Amino acid sequence: MATESPSSIRKVVVHLRATGDAPILKQSKFKIAGSDKFAKVIDFLRRQLHRETLFVYVNSAFSPNPDELVIDLYNNFGFDGKLVVNYACSMAWG
Amino acid sequence: MDVKTGSSDIIGLDGTLSSTQFFLSALSFSDNWKRFNPSLPPWIWVQFPKHRFISSHNKVFEGYLSLENMCFNNLTQEEESNRSSTSKEECNTSHGEEEEELFDYATLVQSNCNEVNHYDFHIVYSPSYRVPVLYFRACHSDGQPLSFDEIEKDLPGHSSKLLSESKWTFITNEEHPYLNRPWYKLHPCGTSDWMKLLFQNDTSLNKNGFVIEQYLVSWFSVIGQVVGLKIPLGMMDTNVANHS
Repeated sequence: MATESPSSIRKVVVHLRATGDAPILKQSKFKIAGSDKFAKVIDFLRRQLHRETLFVYVNSAFSPNPDELVIDLYNNFGFDGKLVVNYACSMAWG
Repeated sequence: MDVKTGSSDIIGLDGTLSSTQFFLSALSFSDNWKRFNPSLPPWIWVQFPKHRFISSHNKVFEGYLSLENMCFNNLTQEEESNRSSTSKEECNTSHGEEEEELFDYATLVQSNCNEVNHYDFHIVYSPSYRVPVLYFRACHSDGQPLSFDEIEKDLPGHSSKLLSESKWTFITNEEHPYLNRPWYKLHPCGTSDWMKLLFQNDTSLNKNGFVIEQYLVSWFSVIGQVVGLKIPLGMMDTNVANHS
């Protein structure tokens, strides 16, 4: 992939939105390089919330793979100039 | 709100679905998968005429989705070198034994000398949890089943981490509901909870609501991560995916 294309170095505004019993962050919006992986968003949330297991998903009803690039997510599911990322603290398997 | 007609029903708000809805979602998932992943093995609906369960719903919908012979080689380089070195050792021992016991030549040389593991995945509807459940099994190229330790090495880092924490015993070896053989199963207890979260989202961004066709795509976006199967972004885009 062309890593030097303007779209991949573009910054993306990520809007973090708490769902369920998840605590609301002081700073809910932040800018991230489009070339960063979604894993960076997940790691940021983990650090902020001090939680290891989080359920992170975007508005089009799916949970992005950590390997996805933020810019790809923004291009497909961005809305109103930002990418809305929801997070919940409970993530149980069984 | 624009509610789609026909098979595109809005599913219940508790994150579950009926077996008929599962069937419809499965067909749509299978079509989309073929369209977006032409190079990967397809998901095929396996009709199961021998219905073992006494149920009131239409027997036409009895069956499961099956993706077989998926080759996995997502080991890290370190693990890979570890593995190949152990394989070599095993091959060497095999070689030594082979000189003593000539009769076992073929089987001994074949074992563990491969790098690619083959995985079979089935998506089976659970009538008790009313959600899809992932079953899988794995074998070496020669058909020898992988031990769970070996499977764990193939799983992405975050999954093996979950496995190592005792409270996350989320994969177990259980009887396949249709094949009656032991398969690995991802526990479905929490599924409806996180499925519910997935479509508790801003509905203005998702004008058609949460349609049945998208259920398995959403479900698989989470489940696929556990076993290292990625879903293309295009498949998740409801506008694109529903234009079929």
